[in-house]
Amino acid sequence: MTDAGSGSGEGFAEGEGFAVGGNFAEGEGFAAGEGEGTYLYAVARDPLPAPAGVAGAPVRTIAHAGLVAYVSTVPLERFGEEPLRRLLEDMDWLAETARAHHLVVDTVAALTTTAPVRLVTVYADDAQVADLLERRENDFLRLLEHVTGRREWGVKAYAVQPAEQEHPQQSAEAHAGRPGTAYLQRRRTSLRGREQARRQALQRADHIHRALAAVAAAGLRHRAQDPRLSGRDAPMLLNGAYLVDQERDAEFADLVATFGGDGVELRMTGPWAPYSFTVMEAT
Amino acid sequence: METPRWRVAADPETVERDLSRLVLTLVELVRQLVERQCVRRMEQGSLTDEQIEVLGVTLMRLEEAMTDLCARFELTPQDLNLDLGPLGTLLPAD
Repeated sequence: MTDAGSGSGEGFAEGEGFAVGGNFAEGEGFAAGEGEGTYLYAVARDPLPAPAGVAGAPVRTIAHAGLVAYVSTVPLERFGEEPLRRLLEDMDWLAETARAHHLVVDTVAALTTTAPVRLVTVYADDAQVADLLERRENDFLRLLEHVTGRREWGVKAYAVQPAEQEHPQQSAEAHAGRPGTAYLQRRRTSLRGREQARRQALQRADHIHRALAAVAAAGLRHRAQDPRLSGRDAPMLLNGAYLVDQERDAEFADLVATFGGDGVELRMTGPWAPYSFTVMEAT
Repeated sequence: METPRWRVAADPETVERDLSRLVLTLVELVRQLVERQCVRRMEQGSLTDEQIEVLGVTLMRLEEAMTDLCARFELTPQDLNLDLGPLGTLLPAD
């Protein structure tokens, strides 16, 4: 389903948040550091076998209110609020946990319509998860309805250096004997050129997003990633996520292919479980 | 985790280089602002040809001086570009 080159790290990039605080919105009253908690991966309508989850624990299902939650038991000494805050800074732990999380989500999502839950969402016990399913039944059902038969694709656009348009030779000749003037003219060309290229690139990103969103059932823009996170020097112009009807996948991919070139490079990733379109704020 | 790039350590070995970097950063920022202002005024036509030439030569020399100073303190242009987090970088990326 997902190609090897864009493993779990890519998963975060698609925008599930890492807001630990938010993940614990339901967690009133669970004792930090003691006993076990219930880690929630995804919510679907059918119980299906799933691979082992985070920390190698077997994944179970909790069926309630016509919904099925995919969960595993985790020790609170590691997944409690306080230890988690520290562990989330540990990139190795995070990568491993994210891999396990996404493996469970992707396996289930490949077989049935699935609403993935954000990474590291931990509840006090199974009863609290069942309670969530009951209280948010309609929200979950509506959400699952919305993503049925659709998958998420990520499209990133990068501004690549356009071909050099300056003609320093000419400008030097035009200002022969006036090196200061020639210098300022060169700076002017370079500053204006860069500014203009930037403006044009941003406009193109808007245009690309609108066009892709029109083919998709839903589209949204995540914040553009910093070059250190994207691992690319070229500035990111667009970090879009699109929920696409499966029968329109080819049409969508063809459309993406038409937008590359001329200073903009596009990269399409996926298909993903609909991470960007199933975020429900816990209340 | 990575240590913050912009900390002036009070270590006698490095304090000179760190302070030089800070000072050169500020000088470079001002130089670029002046350069942009000159370009703007040149475009507006509010400078005479003579003024343009004098300003251009001055800015060009200043740029050369900056390059020399950076080389002396073993700094690269990237070293002078303060990372302001969500605001981006102090100087435009070249």
